[in-house]
Amino acid sequence: MLAAMDSQGRVIFAILLREARVRHGRSHLGYGWAVIEPVALILFLTLVFSQLRSSGISGYDFALFFATGVLPFNLFRTSSQYASGALEANRPLFHYPPVQPVDAVLARVLLESATALLVMGLVFGAQIAWLRAPPPAHPLQLLAVLGLAATLAFGVAMCLATAREWLPSLGHLYGVLMGPAFLLSGIFFSLHAMPEGARDMLVWNPLIHIVEGFRSGYLAGYRAPELDLAYLAWFAGGSVVLGLALTLTFGRKAS
Amino acid sequence: MIALEGLSKAYPLSGRRQRPILQDVSLTLPDANIAILGRNGQGKSTLLRMIAGIEPPDRGRIRCTGSVSWPIGFRGSFHRQLSGAENVRFVARIYRQNTEYVTAFVRDFAELGPFFDQPVKAYSTGMVGRLAFGLSMAIAFRIYLVDEVLGAGDSHFQHKCRAAFRARADQARLVMVSHSMPMLREFCDAALVIDNGTLTFFPDLEEGIARYEQLNAPSRPQAAAVSRQSQPDLPT
Repeated sequence: MLAAMDSQGRVIFAILLREARVRHGRSHLGYGWAVIEPVALILFLTLVFSQLRSSGISGYDFALFFATGVLPFNLFRTSSQYASGALEANRPLFHYPPVQPVDAVLARVLLESATALLVMGLVFGAQIAWLRAPPPAHPLQLLAVLGLAATLAFGVAMCLATAREWLPSLGHLYGVLMGPAFLLSGIFFSLHAMPEGARDMLVWNPLIHIVEGFRSGYLAGYRAPELDLAYLAWFAGGSVVLGLALTLTFGRKAS
Repeated sequence: MIALEGLSKAYPLSGRRQRPILQDVSLTLPDANIAILGRNGQGKSTLLRMIAGIEPPDRGRIRCTGSVSWPIGFRGSFHRQLSGAENVRFVARIYRQNTEYVTAFVRDFAELGPFFDQPVKAYSTGMVGRLAFGLSMAIAFRIYLVDEVLGAGDSHFQHKCRAAFRARADQARLVMVSHSMPMLREFCDAALVIDNGTLTFFPDLEEGIARYEQLNAPSRPQAAAVSRQSQPDLPT
């Protein structure tokens, strides 16, 4: 059992190295894009909102409020989106018996999540150093929420990757869906500040619990009475079970 | 040794129909170099892929003692943006080999010169084949699965491939799909004939080839005997 996990770990690590070499291979800035994109988004939101309102949201500085929303959401979005292409892109690798389709999806989730963590370190480090932002209030909760976000991304990516074998356009549809998901996941509002009717609908979105969970882990005294990490955990676990079942059954089918 | 236990496999056709490849086959193959023979579409490559473990059977299972290679002859597993060396390192890692040894072996064997460190997209077909074959020789498998081609490139490199293979004939065994009778006669001593969902093992290669040629000429039953004497030796 341990030996099997060890050799599977080596396979996943080998795929991860290979993906890291080609992920941003074609653009000149390469890995820099992974930082530029979320930083530009946070800057844009901060500039727009500081024109509209004088003080921050719920008493927090705009830059910090948006960073605590955009970055955990992006960890889920980029990981799930990139990993959902893992089967299609790595089809030739499945001709090597040690490589399982699940490994290819997991390697991409790990690579993107690690990149997202690095970007978080840079953005929050910069805000702490130059904008006198506070350090995270509850680091363990941050890690737990990010772990759940990556787990959900893994589950969703396995389901999508398998489904894309039959319906290739699902990849685009998922990208389109991420637009409304961005608006409805509490990135530029606090759930408790929403009207009651909207709140009752929004709590069903598992992604809003990633954002709210991350914020209440970072910002001391952040009010998140609707936060339900158990709901997020059930959702993440369920997606992994369904994704594993689909990938183990159909992952090699189209090869 | 390769043991097939209650193995069934079918290809899905349009609608709900299926084309059976194997129907409940149980067979233990001895420690020998085995040729897989069969007409087009009978499932030779599928059987090879099932032995490799990259295509799951519908029912039953396959047990192999000793390490089994990927189906050699396949060239599409290299990443075009990565160099030959990087691709080789990847495969060495997934097979838990010493990456430095494997890279040095392939660098020497494949004779790619400076191209070894260039992206694979710059390679010619022959160069990709040389890289693929060098890689399969760098890892000491117990059972080599060969799909159609053993070797690559020009005749000089073809000879080198065959020599490398014969050099390890005492430690390694071969399971080979090919339509080339000279190739099969050079490397194999037994045959497995796949036809209409059944699998027949012939300890003597020539008996297997005779059976295969009989299947190829069903309208002329005596043709098998004729072709066996004249032995046209043409790959089809």
